[in-house]
Amino acid sequence: MTWEMFVFLFLAASALMSALWVISAKEIVHSVIGMATCFIAIACLFIMLNAEFVAIVQLLVYVGAVTIVILFGIMLTKREIMESERK
Amino acid sequence: MNLFEFCHGIIHWLVDLVNNLWYWLGDFLPWYFGDLFTAIGDFAASEGHLLFMTVLVESVVIIVVALINVLNFLWIFRKLSGRILDFYGPYYVGYRIGGWLQNLADGVKLFTKEIITPTKADRLGFLLAPVIFVGSSVTILAVIPLSANFGLSTTSEPGEYVSAGALFALAAFSIAPFAILLAGWSSNNKYTLIGGMRSAAQMMSYEIPLLLAAASVFLLAGSFNFVDIVDAQHDMWFFIPLFIGFVVFLICLIAEVEIIPFDLPEAEAELVEGWTTEYGGMRFGLFYMTTAVRSYAGGALATAFFLGGWQGPWFVPDEIWFLIKAYIVYTVFMWLTWSVPRVRIDQMLVFGWRRLLPLAVLNLLIAAALKSGGWL
Repeated sequence: MTWEMFVFLFLAASALMSALWVISAKEIVHSVIGMATCFIAIACLFIMLNAEFVAIVQLLVYVGAVTIVILFGIMLTKREIMESERK
Repeated sequence: MNLFEFCHGIIHWLVDLVNNLWYWLGDFLPWYFGDLFTAIGDFAASEGHLLFMTVLVESVVIIVVALINVLNFLWIFRKLSGRILDFYGPYYVGYRIGGWLQNLADGVKLFTKEIITPTKADRLGFLLAPVIFVGSSVTILAVIPLSANFGLSTTSEPGEYVSAGALFALAAFSIAPFAILLAGWSSNNKYTLIGGMRSAAQMMSYEIPLLLAAASVFLLAGSFNFVDIVDAQHDMWFFIPLFIGFVVFLICLIAEVEIIPFDLPEAEAELVEGWTTEYGGMRFGLFYMTTAVRSYAGGALATAFFLGGWQGPWFVPDEIWFLIKAYIVYTVFMWLTWSVPRVRIDQMLVFGWRRLLPLAVLNLLIAAALKSGGWL
């Protein structure tokens, strides 16, 4: 197994695991963290394919826009903690 | 001799030294261990491993040099605020060098403080936010070259740096609002959440004019590489034809690093300390330091994009020229910071979307006209 293969498998596994985390996390902001991890892993995969520009644009556009996803996640969803505190 | 050759020489010398000892040790062992020792030694001496270690050492050297400048910046921040607001500023700790050691003393004090995580905080986000913020900001420093010979590269050719390094620096700049909003939300505190929300709104709206102003520079230079951008300014620095873009870029940088005219996210009179309220000890120290790191990166980006980078008369080395210009940009930031009051949130948004964005587009049009008119 070459080093490139090893790095590829690591990045692919982290992208897949964080993608799984996105759909399984209980807290919505945690799934957004998973989403950012997934995007960064994919950007690293692009770098391994010698496509630096696409990787940087991936960082700039997707990881930057994750902030907006958090904003929507906070503003448009209900948090259980708040309700349990009220009781 | 450039940085790559220097670091490669050091690594080569170290690996040779360790390998001599290693092979000598392997000779005393039974043959199967000896073979393993030889294989490990050969791997350590292979070209790929040497290159990898060289890049690591290079980035450490670059980041350490940048962080020393960040300490200077913090000192300038305090000293200049003293001069403008009519007090002395730090002078006791290391008074022979103008109180320069005060920041180190503050760092030691912050290290000895207890690190507190609030009970109701979301632990994952609370612990991860400083990591993302500091990591993404320090990453910017690694790709900024100080001259054609001092930068992160994998060949001994001068000026062969990270491809699209300038764009990478801007991309790393844009990760910060994610960390800030995460910190604000996961602290589970009203002030931090409001600070995080304000920060997200501010950074998102000021990033667009920032990137448009940078795009005009990329258009004129025809490259995303720092060396090409600086070389394109050989005849005329870009702040003369793109003066509007230069002003827009500086204002957006002030908003991005959150210093006073735009420090709404940590407005201390309204929001305690904004999104850093719940962070104590060295975590707060890291946030404080990272703000200065981002100021340094912003000054360096403005220097490389608009002020001719490391170009200047021969009697001063290139690296020093770059740093002088970055220091001047930072001094202008500080001058603004201590002269103007904080803007309101609606003024900030109106200014960003209705004034800076059209000006940035106008600047892009000027750049396109210059480029199509055959200038450069």
